[in-house]
Amino acid sequence: MNKNYLVLAILMILLAVGLLLVPERQNYQQIEPEKLMWDITQTSRFVTVDQVAQMIIEGDPTLELIDIRPVADFETFSLTNAINIPLDSLMKPDYQDYLGIEDMNVVFYGNSDINADQAWVIAKRMGYNSIYVMQGGLNCWIRKIIQPVEPDESASQEEFDLYQFRKGACAFFTGTKVEAPDAGKTGIKVVKRKKGTAVAGGC
Amino acid sequence: MHVHELNPKKTVITMIIFVVVIIAGLLTIRSPRLKYALTPEQTVLLTASDDGGISPEKLELLLTGSTEKVEVIDIRNHYEFARGHIPGARNISAVELLENDNIKWLRILQEEGFTVVIYGKDQLQANGPWMVFRQIGFSNVTVLLGGYQYYLAYKDNKTQKYAPCKADFNYAEVAKASVADGEDNNQPAKKTTIVRRKKKGGAVAGGC
Repeated sequence: MNKNYLVLAILMILLAVGLLLVPERQNYQQIEPEKLMWDITQTSRFVTVDQVAQMIIEGDPTLELIDIRPVADFETFSLTNAINIPLDSLMKPDYQDYLGIEDMNVVFYGNSDINADQAWVIAKRMGYNSIYVMQGGLNCWIRKIIQPVEPDESASQEEFDLYQFRKGACAFFTGTKVEAPDAGKTGIKVVKRKKGTAVAGGC
Repeated sequence: MHVHELNPKKTVITMIIFVVVIIAGLLTIRSPRLKYALTPEQTVLLTASDDGGISPEKLELLLTGSTEKVEVIDIRNHYEFARGHIPGARNISAVELLENDNIKWLRILQEEGFTVVIYGKDQLQANGPWMVFRQIGFSNVTVLLGGYQYYLAYKDNKTQKYAPCKADFNYAEVAKASVADGEDNNQPAKKTTIVRRKKKGGAVAGGC
């Protein structure tokens, strides 16, 4: 036997092993910067607070709300069934499991939409799909759902319908209906109506 | 007796070519035009840092008088740009900015020590593009806090502060207090709907 054959055979085996290892340099499927930029310029990732409210009220099983504020803020107040993933922990393996669940629509929210959008950009880069950002964040949630403003008399029928919806949603979220809390780490917050409290003008 | 054993060299040459092809393939494997310079973990840190943007006050200082080299890029559409923009800004959309020529231009700016400020109509519009540029290694790219909207507001009233990521309300309090039961009582309950605005006097922090 030619010694060359042996050397070449070993080389080929080494290369084969090398080829096997190549895809493992990246342990997650990132999308390319160009694709990421293109997705960023699309506004289809935004959902309004009204849409989120509607999904919560209807009990949409595909909705997965992710609160990206710090833990302390989350514990004081959060949306129904939201999961807390503080923005700085987004890449921790424990939390990665919450993203990319099949058939789930992940909606990020924070105080405003900037931080939620940053979480979205990172998750998008990681290749996750069906992820959204709640437009305006919790500030907008309070302004529109918890403290809706009655439209002018000259406003269109749609605006009045929306106002009616928001009033109903407000009643839903501020305690006229108390839901059975889910056990577990979802951290459901049911804000119960206090007896003595006077009436709010807005809702 | 196999055919190749008649000419051992031929086999060796074939195998060497084979090996060379594989090695060449490995070396040229998928080298994308743009690569991420920051890992996702580093990007997370970036969003948490204070290094997240430039306030209109600071931009004004840079644009007027100082010797700092600044390039301002407006990523809104041409129509919005034509209606008004920050003096000296160039109008290049976010997607166009990733084209080869612009990337080359940005590299030159980076080498020459320019600060590149990008802005959209609000901060949200420029937030993503800014993050992309940071992630592909343009550490000199920054975002105008509040976008053009806030820039205009700032021009009108220089005392305003921009704090986009602060909570405007004490959420728990507001959600509790604004319980709706208009049936028995219709007084506007100013006492209970305390809207606690957070202090807005703080420094403009980009990181949020």
